Amino acid sequence: MRRTKLIGLALTLCVGLAVAGSAMAKNIKVGIVDTYSGPPSAYTNDVRDSFALQVEKINAAGGILGNQVEVITRDDKYKADIALGEAKELLIKEEVDILMGSINSAIALAISDLCKKEKVPYIVSFSKSDNITGAKGHRYVFAVTENTAMIGKAGAEALAKKPYKNYWIAGDDYEYGHAVGGDVWAYLQKLRPDVKLLGETWWKVGTPDFTSYITAIQAAKPDAVIVATGGAGCIPFLKAAKATGFAAQVPIFMHTATELSTLKAIGPDAPEGVMGTANYMFYYPDTQANKDFVKEFKAKYNREPAVGAYYGYLAANFIKSAYAKAGKVDKEAFIDALEGMKVTGPLGEVEMRAFDHQAMLSMFMGVTKKVPDYPFLIATEIVTVPGADAIPPIDVIKKAREKAQQ
Amino acid sequence: MRGNNLKYGLFLAVLLAAFALMPFVLSRFYLYFLGTILVMGLLATSLNLVLGYGGMYQFHHAVFYGAGAYAFALATTKGNWPFWASMALAPVFSALLGLLMGLITVRLNKLYFGMLQISLGSLVWALVYRWYSFTGGDDGIHGVPLPDWLTTPKATYYFVLVLVTIALFIMFRIVNSPFGKIFQAIRDNPTRSEAIGVNVARHQLVGLIIAAFFAGIAGALFVVIEDTAVPDLMFWNLSMEILIMCLLGGWFSFSGPMLGAAMVMGLRTFAGMFTEYWTLILGLVLMALIFFLPNGIMGLFDSKTGHKPAPDLPGA
Amino acid sequence: MIFAPQVTLTALGQQILVGLSKTTILFIVSSGLSLVLGVLRIPNVAHGALYMIGAFLAFTFTQYMGGSGPAFFAALLLAPAAVALLSLLVERTMLSRLYEREHMMLMLFTFSLALVFGDLVKMVWGSDYRSLSLPEGFQGSFMIGTLPMPRYSMFLLVVGPLVAAGLWYLTNRTKIGKIARAAAVHREMVGAVGINVSWVFAAVFMIGCYLAGLGGALVAPTQNISQGMDHTIIIEAFLIVIAGGLGNIWGALLGALIFGVADSVGVLVWPQFAIVFPYVAVIVILTLRPSGLLKSTW
Repeated sequence: MRRTKLIGLALTLCVGLAVAGSAMAKNIKVGIVDTYSGPPSAYTNDVRDSFALQVEKINAAGGILGNQVEVITRDDKYKADIALGEAKELLIKEEVDILMGSINSAIALAISDLCKKEKVPYIVSFSKSDNITGAKGHRYVFAVTENTAMIGKAGAEALAKKPYKNYWIAGDDYEYGHAVGGDVWAYLQKLRPDVKLLGETWWKVGTPDFTSYITAIQAAKPDAVIVATGGAGCIPFLKAAKATGFAAQVPIFMHTATELSTLKAIGPDAPEGVMGTANYMFYYPDTQANKDFVKEFKAKYNREPAVGAYYGYLAANFIKSAYAKAGKVDKEAFIDALEGMKVTGPLGEVEMRAFDHQAMLSMFMGVTKKVPDYPFLIATEIVTVPGADAIPPIDVIKKAREKAQQ
Repeated sequence: MRGNNLKYGLFLAVLLAAFALMPFVLSRFYLYFLGTILVMGLLATSLNLVLGYGGMYQFHHAVFYGAGAYAFALATTKGNWPFWASMALAPVFSALLGLLMGLITVRLNKLYFGMLQISLGSLVWALVYRWYSFTGGDDGIHGVPLPDWLTTPKATYYFVLVLVTIALFIMFRIVNSPFGKIFQAIRDNPTRSEAIGVNVARHQLVGLIIAAFFAGIAGALFVVIEDTAVPDLMFWNLSMEILIMCLLGGWFSFSGPMLGAAMVMGLRTFAGMFTEYWTLILGLVLMALIFFLPNGIMGLFDSKTGHKPAPDLPGA
Repeated sequence: MIFAPQVTLTALGQQILVGLSKTTILFIVSSGLSLVLGVLRIPNVAHGALYMIGAFLAFTFTQYMGGSGPAFFAALLLAPAAVALLSLLVERTMLSRLYEREHMMLMLFTFSLALVFGDLVKMVWGSDYRSLSLPEGFQGSFMIGTLPMPRYSMFLLVVGPLVAAGLWYLTNRTKIGKIARAAAVHREMVGAVGINVSWVFAAVFMIGCYLAGLGGALVAPTQNISQGMDHTIIIEAFLIVIAGGLGNIWGALLGALIFGVADSVGVLVWPQFAIVFPYVAVIVILTLRPSGLLKSTW
């Protein structure tokens, strides 16, 4: 008699705990698959750290809709098969609510495809190929980073003002490289029909030694070179450009050449006079909002924030605002709420365009220069292109997507 | 003797039934994981055809795997071939590649054979890797479309299970056929085999083609599971990993490679969840293996049950 | 596909020179591999990892000693020595117990070493990008006619023959060199004459690994110092060794020449498939002469 009573009590306890457990808030899981080894990590560490900082603040203030936010990161080592395996693990095993990452545009496209099938929102936090939200965009992918069409427009505007006629395009032979090189060139041709492309060089991603490529390009004697390198190539190429004296002889345009992640990684070895575009600089514009952001980041991580930190901030706040608007932890409601969402950040208001899920970021063009205040180079002669002007118009995106469907 | 065979057959039947019931027991992730083990096991077994049974230093087997995967992926995406046509193309293409590489390498002795294979295989890899406009190079090929009936995890799993089982069965028969016995004799003593009239080079070539054929099937199955093909599938590191799988499981037995594949994949996935240094662990495990268990796990098992590690010579 | 856009004679000449500077690194690394392969009969897959460790150590030593030009030269001396010591440790404790085994086992063992070293590097140095500066005097380029030639490449062009000369002296003029050559051809005989073959092997292995470390240290200022550099170099080194003739150091030199120049000229003539050129060259060599260009010690 006593035994059955005891068992009954134990059972009730178990059931009670189970019921209570399910009634308790479940964590909102955000999975990040990104490259944390090698040169790309110079860019992505900031995304992860800034995101973590924002999540900490959110959780301290009670979380999102009463749920704590849990962040799980995985290193894809810049390889598509590893990235896909990890994305699958996060989606299928960990059942994350949101997936984020990667810096490699090819990986981003592959994961985007996966998320479309799994119906889980994917926030691209660094990859910039315009195919991500353009021709291959869909309901489940969002970008808090700029894309190559925007870079192309801004970069072309800067180059069009220069007297250069004969160009060479050189870069990493993969999705992003071709996208950024192609986009800059396409826009430049529109603005200056007289420019000529002497030739192109595409080296394999992760090429360790650029010397022979550099000398081959110099043999062609172009007026300027559009360097289309990505996360793995930007830093090593700029270093080689200075070391071989290439940068001193031929004008270079490279996206992110003026960006802190690139310049800090190279330090005093960075070449001066390189033209570049970037979306964030901790020293410009010198607004209070930016200063506060820098102060907060520096206090926690003991370094100045680079553009990755900006993306991390945007991602975290877009997530927070979208869930708040949706009112429930539901993926479809989240997506609906995120479309057209506006958040305010260190550089002012940023809108997530509803049609293509592309954040309307502003572009800053500049030229690298050595200054005594910092152990790294900074950008000078800065020209701003507001987000609304840089982003391609909606009908361009529409046409690109329709073409891709055929 | 007959009793033994019956026991073995029963054991296999139970194993197969267990595999067939997995979708009802395992979660989606583990089902996917099991599928990848089956594919790798098939690949490792195909390597062992020439490695363990043939004694050939096949150092770059991954080329045939990647070739099959790319053949399938490209035929489907660029060529718009129907599914079964692409499936058939994969092993045939790999076999052709095997024929080509074999013609160049088979006459050479062990280490040269292995080294030249590495060179040729790396050339194929380099071509695929750099031919961006055709193969997508470093980006890989993603979102390979599959027929509707193959889109659910269960269907994929069963498809893989059925094909792998059939492939393993065929390979088992080949190994135990007269051809297989001669093949093993060549491994044990090539000079003597030549002396009794066996055309060593031709047999080795055929063996290589068969191994490549099945590796190609494994490659196509990889694409079926992952919808994707990447140049790393033909990279030298993978070839070494497959070798390790054969070694780990035991290269003197038929089922050793499959076991080895399960262990390496398991290590990669589960150690990977706790530490990012799982390659270190794999390296240490391999070292321990080389020192203490040179015949692999199956070798240990065989010696305990009294089986001889070396398979029977022809005529026994 | 762009094909042969700018092939002028000067451009070709310049590319060949750059290719030759590449040859230096390739030769240094491959000769070490060839030495170990020839004398110990071990295909040392960990050779690439040792090269990588050499690069990382060069970085750390340079930083530690102030980061300037002289610090780099000191690192050039220290890093390979450290790699050699590491290799000695491995050889005495583990490798020497496996000498009676099959080649395959030895190769797989070195592969496991490569795996372990690869992760050890990640553990010790982390995954971040590391950058090593060229010493001041080596930055920039010389102008040869109208075309610029990077200064560091010229430095490598000088180092290469120096190392080759050093190796020639070692193998032909010193006692240890002669013993090693004898052991490569007939190790039982060497043992029978009363020489401790085991220590010969240890010494040769050390020298081979020293060369790997030296290659890595030399290359450090020009490339990314990061994980993955071991994978590319090991394939290239093996191909060169095979093409040159297993165990033959001068074959390695020849192979490295062909490889380096084929690559650089390829970049000029057909940049997209530049990396294919060396592989094709190697395969052509092997089809015509399957045992390699020069006599092998096997």
